Amino acid sequence: MIEKMRDKMTPRIGRRSFLKMAAVGAGVGAAASLPLGRSLRAATAAEVKEPFPGSKRVKTICSICSAGCGMIAEVQNGVWVRQDVAQDHPISEGSHCCKGIDQIDLIKSKQRLKFPMKKENGQWKRIGWDQAVDEISGKMLALRKENGPDMAMFLGSAKFNLQQAYYFRKFAAMWGTNNIDHVARI
Amino acid sequence: MSNGQARMKFYCDTTRCIECFACSVACSEAHELPVGISRRKVVTMHEGIPGKEYSISIACMHCTDAPCEQVCPVDCFYIREDGIVLHDKNKCIGCGYCLYACPFGAPQFPRDGAFGTKGAMDKCTMCAGGPEETNSARERHLYGHNRIAEGKVPICAAVCATNALLVGDAEEVSTIYRKRVSSRGKGA
Amino acid sequence: MTNHFGDVVGHSKVIFIIGANSAAANPIGMKHFLQAKDRNNAQLIVVDPVFTKTAAKADHFLRIRTGTDVALVYGLMHVIFKNGWEDKEFIKTRVYGMDEIKAEAMKWTPELTADVTGIPAEQIVQIATILAKTKPATVVWALGITQHSTGTSNTRILPILQLVLGNMGKNGGGCNIIRGHDNVQGSTDMCCLADSLSGYYGLAEGSWKYFAKSWGVDYEWLKGRFAAPEWMQAKGFSLAKWWQGVLQEETTYSSSPVRALWVQGNGITSMSQQVKIQEALDKLDLVVLVDPFVNEAAVLTNRKDDMYLLPAATQFETEGSVTATNRTSQWRSKVVDPLYESKTDHDIMFLFAERFGFYDEYTRAMKMAVKDRELQPVKEEFVWPDDACREIARTIKTIGLGGWTPERLRKHQENWHMFDPLTLEGKGPMKGEYYGLPWPSWDENHPGSPVLYDVNTPVTAGGMGFRNRFGLEHDGVSQLADPSVSVKDSKIAGGYPEITKDNIEQVLGITLTAAEKEKMGANWKVDLSGIINEKCLAAGVAPYGNARARVKVWQFPDPIPKHREPIHSSRPDLVERFPSYDDQKNNFRVDVKFVSEQKAQEWVKDFPTMLVSMRVVNLSGAGMLERTSKYLSHLTPEMFANIHPDLALQYGLRDGDMMWLHAPQGTKIRVKAQYSLTVTPDRIALPYNFAGVMQGVDLSDNYPEGTKPYTIGESSNTITNYGFDIITQIPEYNAGLCRIEKA
Ligand code: SF4
Ligand code: SF4
Ligand code: SF4
Repeated sequence: MIEKMRDKMTPRIGRRSFLKMAAVGAGVGAAASLPLGRSLRAATAAEVKEPFPGSKRVKTICSICSAGCGMIAEVQNGVWVRQDVAQDHPISEGSHCCKGIDQIDLIKSKQRLKFPMKKENGQWKRIGWDQAVDEISGKMLALRKENGPDMAMFLGSAKFNLQQAYYFRKFAAMWGTNNIDHVARI
Repeated sequence: MSNGQARMKFYCDTTRCIECFACSVACSEAHELPVGISRRKVVTMHEGIPGKEYSISIACMHCTDAPCEQVCPVDCFYIREDGIVLHDKNKCIGCGYCLYACPFGAPQFPRDGAFGTKGAMDKCTMCAGGPEETNSARERHLYGHNRIAEGKVPICAAVCATNALLVGDAEEVSTIYRKRVSSRGKGA
Repeated sequence: MTNHFGDVVGHSKVIFIIGANSAAANPIGMKHFLQAKDRNNAQLIVVDPVFTKTAAKADHFLRIRTGTDVALVYGLMHVIFKNGWEDKEFIKTRVYGMDEIKAEAMKWTPELTADVTGIPAEQIVQIATILAKTKPATVVWALGITQHSTGTSNTRILPILQLVLGNMGKNGGGCNIIRGHDNVQGSTDMCCLADSLSGYYGLAEGSWKYFAKSWGVDYEWLKGRFAAPEWMQAKGFSLAKWWQGVLQEETTYSSSPVRALWVQGNGITSMSQQVKIQEALDKLDLVVLVDPFVNEAAVLTNRKDDMYLLPAATQFETEGSVTATNRTSQWRSKVVDPLYESKTDHDIMFLFAERFGFYDEYTRAMKMAVKDRELQPVKEEFVWPDDACREIARTIKTIGLGGWTPERLRKHQENWHMFDPLTLEGKGPMKGEYYGLPWPSWDENHPGSPVLYDVNTPVTAGGMGFRNRFGLEHDGVSQLADPSVSVKDSKIAGGYPEITKDNIEQVLGITLTAAEKEKMGANWKVDLSGIINEKCLAAGVAPYGNARARVKVWQFPDPIPKHREPIHSSRPDLVERFPSYDDQKNNFRVDVKFVSEQKAQEWVKDFPTMLVSMRVVNLSGAGMLERTSKYLSHLTPEMFANIHPDLALQYGLRDGDMMWLHAPQGTKIRVKAQYSLTVTPDRIALPYNFAGVMQGVDLSDNYPEGTKPYTIGESSNTITNYGFDIITQIPEYNAGLCRIEKA
């Protein structure tokens, strides 16, 4: 009995039962063919029209905070077309905060940095990767020659994935400095 | 419901809602609403007063005797069998009567003719689209996604950070809420 | 986190949240606390200087004066000890050094505690009583605890409270620390830090040798990369004060000034001392900023040349694992290819490793594996991120990442619906494993450890005692757990030391073969052969030992935590009695002022209002990311400060008026006064997630065309007061003073 009550109290269950009640589209009468939600019945595959035909649902993880909410990204022809909740994720059970549910917008944001840039005479200038890598490495090595490897300060990220974080630490080590840190310090 | 007809309702449990705006942003994002149109709003009352402060998420309540429907001079509203209150943007003349009639301030009026229909009212569709062909590009453009047709929960309730926002058949929603309250051993 | 969110929902009867605003910072964590309230009738106790959205849901709200957390906890312990409510058995068998804590606690009467913290004495007694009588209780904290000049003491006193109550290693108990960014736990574990190699191995010679071996490189070569061997073992500059390496106003200790700054995904506008950072950015020879968005460091500085922006891909444009706040590892699949001309962070590192001449050494370990108990080259090409993942799994023993193979992590993701949200236990094909293999997951068969320090669960099922880390005895007292404390199903009764090559035969009662001896590393932490791990698990033994939790850290300036007033204290009378530390020489290569700054003048005379930083739900970190979303930025269209109307009226400020806030170090910001009853008239609260305006100057012109976020604003960190923790050097964001002036 107590167990039953618990189940009812779990809103996840509540939502699931709603899911099952899947109403059919507007205007179609609700024929009581299945005892799902009294007068509602499950929509048939034909009625549930795919808004993004051929899209695949990618399971992934929110990149904002360490709660680690699950996410579903719908991808069609290599384009992220829609974000959905991951109802069956064991930590978030479908929930997000406003930042998490807006991940798709953040990633597709207009303000993304789209290409390498450098500041020259106070002006931002678009450059290519080759030029950027050439110039930066040239300058880094020249400074290293003058002052040794501790002339550099590397600040890494809590937004790296684990493998990148490990490789960033290794990067600083092989450059030859312990001047490396990231926001865990604050 | 005595006649056994399910009626879809929202309920926001104010002991749960933390004003995180997930519901509101999810709605805007999913339906690509212009900034300034909020089908769903989150407000906090008595902010900063211990014991009194609470937050609540509000949108169209899909009223049983929807006042908006009753006052609309061009009859653009229609109520689905499951109780979802929708309207036809092609009929809407943007007069604003519905806004005056609505106790929740749900109807919104875009200034810049967003959604392609100049001045037409916009409001929560319970993620059920509109009168256009289900899940067509045109329906999406005018009314946003039709998640109900896909067999999905409205995005705002699906995403709610704390499961404060419940949606479903009115009786089921109230059962969930009552169980929550009784296990807490307080409240009514 | 020692436990996890589901565990709180399942078991906690009290949730004690101090210095964390989960409702804003981590809403899904908050959901679990609210579920615990609904299901267990759990009592929510919230301690905060501000009435937050989390506090609004509390059964008990304690409004604390900033920087007095240690005093509060001693006050609570005072009541507990005085009534004999401590868990005597737990303390006797699993803890070292509690007598000194008790002696200190006895000084903190409810009256003294009330005077120092501003929390009424009756409320202190009431909360102490709840904590003592209602078990289990979990303690939750976040940056409100760490960001203080006494941050280290704060983070120690709370676990000590849990030890006093016997709430460690239990379901529904533990210390559930809420971390910030998505992979801050993982990046910390990988130690992108100035004082340690990955896995908290530190910087000692032995650690470097182990890593040289694990990376498949010659130790002498690695040593030769550094300025000199001593710099290899010296902590580097920290994120908190690297700018002194450039400006050198305070004495620095390094082989070179800092001349180039390389930032990869770190919003340095979220750091204190923005004016100093601006000066340092202006002075550097080279600035390289790698980020998906414009790092606002580029906007802060007015430099004209030698600054580069490199577009990094977001985490949805690459693949790998992330460690959640509960130590669970989750596989994050790639959603789309890198957008525009962006490149993944690791590809950028590879590009430069090649130019810097160490690409071969850098990537070598990904082509190696342990075969015949030895690390050796096994293939010509590596696969990212799988081989990096394997490299981490076989290298990082300290926190037990041995089980984190890419195959297992992917399988957990594919089957995430097979795990119970409350226990994290798997069913069906995932039976016997915990979701995301929360570390330690000692080897490829280990299920992960959802609740740390639980001796009632076998090691092979996620149980363990406390780690033996600080020797076998101190002051003649054994550091091992009492003979009565045996980990379930362990072959060894009672406590045991960490396992080494020298003691393994004796401790486990086994005999090794000559071949095993030859291949085995010196101890469990550096044993690439995996033999120690294997033998330990076979005996139901945690390789790191079964010891006592020490509440006394004899190497620290405060061996037991002490209340010390913030550097900029609102109570000069208490500064005399509870002064800060002596000034510090050479921590992270730079001197740090403590008491000299604290007593330089009676700060509160000129800066009478307490400054508290806070979170808003729609922005995180420096806010750069979220401020580029039209929906999120719309929720907080401009920078503001929450101010009580009574305080505002003293300065003639109406709701919405602009005001200047001045800090002791002579900096100021111009922000909107927003009337709010969440703060009392002695303090104001500021969100810290804005940048793009500096001391009243709009820096919009410094953004490259088309990259300016929807909202910009003053950074509260411009007026964060000088002050740093004595151990970690974390800035004192959460206790400071300011002066208000109508703008
Ligand atoms: S959705 Fe919100 S709570 Fe969940 S991980 Fe993302 S930022 Fe954190
Ligand atoms: S039901 Fe859909 S349209 Fe209505 S408020 Fe929720 S998300 Fe918006
Ligand atoms: S998502 Fe839920 S908790 Fe958040 S504001 Fe909306 S109703 Fe409240």
